[in-house]
This record gives sequence, structure tokens and C-alpha cells, in this order.
Amino acid sequence: MSRVLVAMSGGVDSSVAAALLVEDAVKQGHEVVGVTMKTFCYSETPGHSKTCCGLDGITDAKRVAEKLGIPHFVFDVEEDFTRDVIDDFVNEYAEGRTPNPCVRCNGNTKFRDLMARGRALGCDRIASGHYVRIEHPGDGGGSSAILRGRDARKDQAYFLWGLPAELLPRLLFPVGELTKSEVREKARGLGLVTADKPESQEICFVPTGNYRDLLHRRLGSHPALEPGLIVRRSGEVVGEHGGYAGFTVGQRKGLGGGFGDPMFVLEVRPATREVVVGGRDELFQDEVEVGEANWHTQRPDVGARLVVQLRHRSPPVGATVEQVADTVVLTLDEPRPAITPGQSAVLFAGERLVGGGRIVRADRTARSSSPTDGIRAVLR
Amino acid sequence: MDPVYLDHAATTPLREEVVAAMAPFADRTFGNPSSLHRWGRAAYAALEEARAEIAYAIGAKPAEVFFVRGGTESDNLALLGWLESHSADGTTPTLAVSSLEHHAVLEAAESAQRSGRARVVKLHVSLDGKVSPDALRAALAEKPTLVSVMWVNNETGMILPIREIAQVVADAGGTMHTDAAQALGKVDVDVRDAPVTMLSATGHKLQGPKGVGILFVREGASLSPLIHGGGQERRLRPGTEDVAGAVGLALAIRLAVSEREREAERLSALRERLGCDLLARIPGSRINAGVALRAPHVLSLGIAGIRDGAALIMALDVEGVAVSGGSACLSGASKRSHVVAALYGESDEHATIRFSFGRSTTEQDIQHAADVTVRVVERLKSNEGAA
Repeated sequence: MSRVLVAMSGGVDSSVAAALLVEDAVKQGHEVVGVTMKTFCYSETPGHSKTCCGLDGITDAKRVAEKLGIPHFVFDVEEDFTRDVIDDFVNEYAEGRTPNPCVRCNGNTKFRDLMARGRALGCDRIASGHYVRIEHPGDGGGSSAILRGRDARKDQAYFLWGLPAELLPRLLFPVGELTKSEVREKARGLGLVTADKPESQEICFVPTGNYRDLLHRRLGSHPALEPGLIVRRSGEVVGEHGGYAGFTVGQRKGLGGGFGDPMFVLEVRPATREVVVGGRDELFQDEVEVGEANWHTQRPDVGARLVVQLRHRSPPVGATVEQVADTVVLTLDEPRPAITPGQSAVLFAGERLVGGGRIVRADRTARSSSPTDGIRAVLR
Repeated sequence: MDPVYLDHAATTPLREEVVAAMAPFADRTFGNPSSLHRWGRAAYAALEEARAEIAYAIGAKPAEVFFVRGGTESDNLALLGWLESHSADGTTPTLAVSSLEHHAVLEAAESAQRSGRARVVKLHVSLDGKVSPDALRAALAEKPTLVSVMWVNNETGMILPIREIAQVVADAGGTMHTDAAQALGKVDVDVRDAPVTMLSATGHKLQGPKGVGILFVREGASLSPLIHGGGQERRLRPGTEDVAGAVGLALAIRLAVSEREREAERLSALRERLGCDLLARIPGSRINAGVALRAPHVLSLGIAGIRDGAALIMALDVEGVAVSGGSACLSGASKRSHVVAALYGESDEHATIRFSFGRSTTEQDIQHAADVTVRVVERLKSNEGAA
């Protein structure tokens, strides 16, 4: 008997993913085991009275699993999650970058660690409530690949580039063919307590939404949290800030006023604690260098034409692979605003997730001699 | 095969006879025992009959039995209530607890320590179930002293020599409390030959209702209430009494005590059989506290070479064998057992499975549990080896 481990956060998407697996259990000949990861302890967050034993997500997941008639367990992954996700999050901000903790979690905790623990329970596959689809090759060979979700507004492929490729044949994404409203309808139809639960917006380990509190708690006194100068690219000092960890590329808030034209963060320089600002047109760049690349399909060759997505919500843009070595260098078909070190650059071939990496650096090349054409194209 | 429940030390199902005995108190005899009319009188009579029945079962007087809301409350009332009534003149009493105690005792003691209500001393228990007499005498030197040692350890089944310890405490003029939640109905518990001052027990470990327990307080002992209200339970535990619970608890205790010897013999045989089978088939396994006297209903197996003890318990559940790793927390936090650490040291690297048996446990259950355990342990070892 094959056994599927379904990661249940206690939200509606993973609840329905579990329900769909249970509906298919007889036809597919599998058993379903639900799991919620205890990633951190809310009680350590100031102002939160919740204890670990009463986390909302865990309680809801248990109620849903009981309704579906499947076992449910809590995996205490706090130690690994702290090391792989929270520490990384804090370090990235300390170094002036803007991390994607969900990407880190998916690549490490949520799938790799979960699969390892699932094997102990006799599980050979792992499912989640992500809005993506997966293509498994038939007997004809080839490799498994993640495809964008059917519901374009909910698609979460951006967050999954870090999954180890060898895990792909073991993955199931039951809600990838559904829209969010279909998922909610399904949950209501089954009477699941999570049916109308609001979407989680915040980073799970920053329930207050204020990540600077977390940085203060974990970094103590650190240059990233000390005052520094706000400068133009020319070096002209235009103001002061309370710590560069509070800034991300493209940000307008927190720079103070009196600039005349709207000002945006262009760059964070940890070495000098400077935050560099400039006008909207200075935000646009067309060369991206990506580190820690991970490939789901074959590694692309130099000259390959792909589509890259530079933020979760930003529209994808055509790109050419210029270099594949320690880092990958891409040139974009047209300049893009606020390309942010630390964020993910995720590569697609059509709907198919090819791979991705962390943005190390972005530049404007001489090649885009008339960048404003591109800017118009984007802003149109 | 249907799933097998081998977690009777966590809780047990209500006995049919107990359900039947409690039923009238859900509707017909619903009165408040404090009311002076006929409804009240009927409830009062039932409550006092239950008290007398429990007193008889443990060799106490009815006036020495107080109904409380379960084992945790009973332990807290014993410790904190005694401290409260013995710290009036500015003295800080000594509270000596064994390192194997249930969290209800350990955390109550820590709370008392933090707030300056007690000087807390931990008593080490050796692998064969002995409490060091020197440590005990040292704790008793600074009076007043309350000693709290459990009768049967919930995680390993170890029986502690309560009669001997209580005698030492009594001879030195100290006060002795014992948590007998896992002992009553399993070993011979009688306060006539065990000179304890207080004893805690709870219903749901012996097929009685959850949320009802007793605290035995020997005549003449002084104890302050922790909560305040009416005059129920002679002011020691105010609040309208749970008559149905008391009636169910009394019957469950009576049945468990009267059937104890026969059932203990049966369960000990099952325990020995499972223990020998697992020791023979699982390399690197041991019976925790195996050299100590142990209660018939608990078998604690330590297994070397498995890091993730929680995964072991989960895997057994998936395969249809319900056991625990120690005391369970809803979140599944895989904290190390303080009991195993106290007995084998902090660096001990054995995963623990606690099998615990009850009236419904059969030889077939034991055989099935052994086969499944061997299979699951092999899988985990090969997984962890590969990882």
C-alpha cells in the first residue's frame, strides 16, 4: 500500500488537498497521513499569548483530519526551521538583502525534511496545498516538472524553485487544477472548519507583521539596525535613516519627504550603512546575476531563451542566459524595476518551472541604450 | 486486524458498569448536594456513599477523602495547600520531590520555589527504584518538610517503596504525599500500612470518569484551600460537587481494587511476554527500569539507534498500534522524557516506547504489537541509517 503524506498548515488550501487525496484513496490505492509542522513557538513572540500546544493551525488541521478520517501528527521542526529559515532571514536583512523565507522553507523544511520524516511513517509521496501542477512522465521516460497553477492569480510556482529535483517524482499538488473559489466551495461542501478562513498574509514567524522587532530580538545591536545616511548615486547626502535593515529596493516609505520628485530605494550598502535613493527611472535594470541556482529540468545552456519572474507578484519577462557558472547571468528583454538582491529569480519555459536562484546583483547594461522604451513598455 | 490500544496509562475507557451507575445522576438524581430538599438529599447521600466506598477501598476514613477535579488538581492541592498552611509564621518549608514525578508535582514545586513559598529539593531515584536515605534525611533536617514521591512511575511502571519512605519521613517528623494515580488498582494501596499523610488518585486511569479524582488527607493534617467559594468538601475544594463523577469514580475504584490481584497476574504475564519478545527481536533494546519492581500494566522499551522517538510512536499509530513515548503533548513536541533522563542520564540516546495494558488487552494484541513494533523499528533504523 502506497502512503501519501499531506502537509496541512491548517489553512483551506491544504485542507482541500487532503480531502481530494482522501477521495482518490480507493481509486489510487493509497493511504493518506496528515502532518502539521510546528515551525516555531508563538509564545516567544511578545504580545502573543498562544502556546505551542494551541497553535490555531495545528488545531484546525487536526479537526479537518479527524473529519476526513485520516491520522494527523505534528512534526516538531523548530530547530531545523530556525536554522534554515529564520536565521537565514535575519542574516539576509543584516547583509542588506531582502529574503524570501517561504522559498527557503519549501526548499528545506517543508519538502526535504518532511519527506525524510515521512519515510519513517512509511510514506513514499508527499502532497501540499500549493497552487501548482506537477507533470510526471509516463513510462516513456523524462523527468517530473512543476507547472504553474491553473488559477493564474494564485499560482505559487515562484516559491518552489528551491525544491531538490530528486523529490519531484514524489510530489502531488491536488489543488493545482482548481481556482481558489473552487477550493473554498469544495471545503464548504465538505463542511471543513477551514472553509472560510482568511488567507494568511504575513510571514508565519512574524505574526505581528513587524519583522524589525524580530531582527532586534535576534541581532541585538548590529550595524543593520544603526542609523546611516541616505545618499544619491552621486554621493550627495539627502537624509538619514534608522537602520538599513528596514529598507528594500523599490521602497518609498521611510525616506522622509522634501525631494520634489518621488524617491525610491535603489540599493542598500551594508559596508557603509548607506541607503541609496533615486528617481523612478533609476530603478530599471536589465541584467541580473543569480546565485545558489537550482535546476528542476536540465541546466539551460548559454544563449537559452527563457522567461524569468523576479518577484512573486511581478509579471514575467523574457530573458537570455548569458553565463552559467558559479552564478547565472541573465539579460532581460526589457529593463525591470526594483530587482532586489535576496529575492528569487525564477525561470520558466512556458508553464514549466525550470529552476531559479537568489538574486545577487542587478545592473543596467549599456546595451539598453534607450531604457525609457523599456520603461514605457512596463508602465504602459 | 483492528487498531490495538496499548496506552492505558494515558487513559482508559469507562467501564459499562460505571456508565450505568453514573446515568441516573445525569437526569433523575440531578440535585445539588447542598440543597436541603429531597433532590438535594438524594444527591448528598449518593456523594457520601461514594466517599465511604473510596475510603473503604484505600483503608481510610470517609472524612479523609476529598473529591477534586482530577489527578493534577489533587497533586497541586496537596503540595501548595500544605505549603500555604505551613508558612504562616515566616518560615519557608522544605519540599522534597523525586526526580521521576509527574509534571503536576514538578511544576507545582517549581512554582512554589519561584514564588518563595518553598525550598525545593530533588530526590534522586536509582535504577532499581531506591531513594537515597541520606538525601531524604537531609531534606527532613530543615523542617517543616513535605516529601512527595509517586507510588508508581507513569512512564516506566517503576514501583517506589512508598511504605519504607513514608516510615522514614514519619519517624523524622515530616509529612509525606504520594501520587498514586498509576498505583491504585494496580498495586496494593492501603493507607493503614503506608504512613502517608496525603495520597492523590484519579478516575480515568482505572476505567472511571475523566476530570474527577481524590485527595486523601489523614485526620489531623492541616491543609489550606487553593480556591475559594462555598463550603463544599469542608472548604478544602469548594464548588458544586460532581456527583455523577464521584459515583462513577467510587465504583471504578471498587471494581479495580477488588479485581486487582487476578488482573495484575494476567497483565504481568502479558507484560513479560511482550518484553521478552521485543528484547529478543530488537537489537539494542532494553526494558527501562527493568531491574526495579514494576507495576503490571506498563512496559517501557528503550531502543538504541533511533534518534526520532516521536516518529516511532507516529509510525506505530499509522500501523494500528496506539502507544506513547512518555507523557504526550498535543503539539507533539519531541521533548526528551525527564524520567528517562533522570534514570539514565541526560546523554542517554535511546528512543522510548511505553506500552500500557488494561482490562481489554489480550494475548493477540500483544503478539500483534510485537510484530508491528519490530517491523517499524527496522524501517526507522534503515531510514536513519540512509539519512
